[in-house]
Amino acid sequence: MRPWIAAILYAVLGAITFVVCFPLLWAISTSLKPKDEIFRWPPTIWPENVTFDAYRELLFGGSVASAPGAGVPPSAYFLTWFGNSIIVSIGSTIISITVATLAAYSLTRFRFWGQRSVPYIAILGYMVPSVIFVFPMFLTMVSLELTDTLFSLILGYVCITLPFCLWLMWAFFRGVPIEIEEAALVDGATRLQVFRQIVLPVALPGIIAASIFSLIVSWNDYLFGRVFMNSMENLPLTVGVMHFFDGTHVDWALMMASSVLMTLPMAILFGFMQRHLVAGFGAGAVKG
Amino acid sequence: MTDLVVQGLSKSFGSNQVLKALDLTVPSRQFVTLLGPSGCGKTTLLRMIAGLEKATAGEIRFGDRRVDMLPPGERNIAMVFQSYALYPTMDVARNIGYGLEVRGTPKPERTEKIGAVAKVLEIAHLLLRKPKQLSGGQRQRVALGRAMARRPDIFLMDEPLSNLDAKLRATMRGELRRFHLDLGTTTVYVTHDQLEAMTMSDLVVVMNEGVVQQIGTPEEVYGKPANLFVAGFIGTPPMNLIPAKVVDGVVTVAGAPLPVPLPPGAPAELILGVRPQDVTMAAPGDAGAVPGKVWMVELIGSERLIEVEIAPKLRVTAEVRASHRAAMDDLVAIRPDPAHIHLFDPATGLAIRA
Repeated sequence: MRPWIAAILYAVLGAITFVVCFPLLWAISTSLKPKDEIFRWPPTIWPENVTFDAYRELLFGGSVASAPGAGVPPSAYFLTWFGNSIIVSIGSTIISITVATLAAYSLTRFRFWGQRSVPYIAILGYMVPSVIFVFPMFLTMVSLELTDTLFSLILGYVCITLPFCLWLMWAFFRGVPIEIEEAALVDGATRLQVFRQIVLPVALPGIIAASIFSLIVSWNDYLFGRVFMNSMENLPLTVGVMHFFDGTHVDWALMMASSVLMTLPMAILFGFMQRHLVAGFGAGAVKG
Repeated sequence: MTDLVVQGLSKSFGSNQVLKALDLTVPSRQFVTLLGPSGCGKTTLLRMIAGLEKATAGEIRFGDRRVDMLPPGERNIAMVFQSYALYPTMDVARNIGYGLEVRGTPKPERTEKIGAVAKVLEIAHLLLRKPKQLSGGQRQRVALGRAMARRPDIFLMDEPLSNLDAKLRATMRGELRRFHLDLGTTTVYVTHDQLEAMTMSDLVVVMNEGVVQQIGTPEEVYGKPANLFVAGFIGTPPMNLIPAKVVDGVVTVAGAPLPVPLPPGAPAELILGVRPQDVTMAAPGDAGAVPGKVWMVELIGSERLIEVEIAPKLRVTAEVRASHRAAMDDLVAIRPDPAHIHLFDPATGLAIRA
């Protein structure tokens, strides 16, 4: 590549990277500023006086358990919301992955009516914006008396993540040659042993890719949490942090510190699993 | 040591019947090849012996044991797949030992057996590698090792050499034969490559359209083909199959009489089969020869194939020494060797024997 083309390319890529990363950098910067510096004009890019007050308040500022009732500052709920988000994300991911893996395996390995159309119907379902079915689902939750429970959120997230997970695993299993399973059967393994010892290890990159997808979707969701939940102690993190905005005044330091803390688990997870994620999506894309 | 008996075995996929009431007996310790064109049902038969396909009708026995109702794992067979089908996440040692592992063989015994097999197959240095780190030939050996480790009653092999290059294939043919002689395990081998069938087998089962056409030693299926299909399928280049007539008790081809001994009761119209190797070139007008015109000449190394048109659209191939000169459109004659002529009934396709 000619040097000037490379220079332009790097400049463009650098600009895009800056645009993408700026909100996160701004959030980190704001979360470390004292309150008076946040509103200073012209703004400081990097805090002159670094303070961890916002983080301290969120993480060690007391819990709901120690000071229940009205008048509790929203920041006291932070760890509860964090825990709620972890529970619903992991819970919905476990259900989605288990169902998607078993369903995709049977869709690729056993012959039955509708075997070909199910994956396509599933992906079609995934393409429908979730805002369309959030209210029918809310009404269903009301009739099941499940509203304002973490379980209702888990079910909601399963509904939006399962179709894509199923599609991904289906594409993955189609690339796993059936001969290796037959070889194991001839070797004397039972169907369950074949699935556990042969198929699952081969499908692991696909499972990891689908899990990361499901975790990210449920971790980042706002809509379902906003519609299904109303008690402060049951909110997921995305909905909870909106309480730092009370209609007239926004606590930007807390808001930004929450955003940074909220990004961390997914960023760490993504960093560790990136290799598998690429392998998983690649396997779905190219057969064989 | 186990013999394999297949009785009245049928298999249909929907309305498509791929095996038709097939009978087959494979004597113990024999190396038997199922040979036939694509879609003849040979792989389906092998998979039914393995238990990977269910029979529509009929039964399969290993010795006195009826096995067609048993799952593959309970038949004590080992199978080598065309794609090798190695377990991609396991190393070579575990691939070889997996059959022992799921059968609960203790680890020390397993390790010993894996080591012994690896030594025989000369893959001991590969035991810790994953399948994707191996070459085609090495994968082939691991697949064989996996089959050998368990000491099965019967070996089943589904075109195991077809993914190798020509040179390696020739080497592995010899090795497979050697292993079979050493182990003495009854082996059923599927191939569409007649060279493999002829060089490796004790018995060849020629199949077409789900029906066994002939069972015999390689010499028998080559030298005494039972019907027109076997005659045309076995041998390279294929046998010349020429329409002939019996006129006053003499076999004539394109009007030329040939000194062919005629079995009693032969029909008036016949198909005369003669291999290109058993056809010599003669001068037009020679007795016992059929005149014609050279249509095509091909050099195939030490031999030359001369295609002679003896009647419109009726051509006979002769395989002669490369030193024999012939040019297109030369007027020549071909002389089939009367001792190597095969006669077939055009109505039934069956060989007519004295």
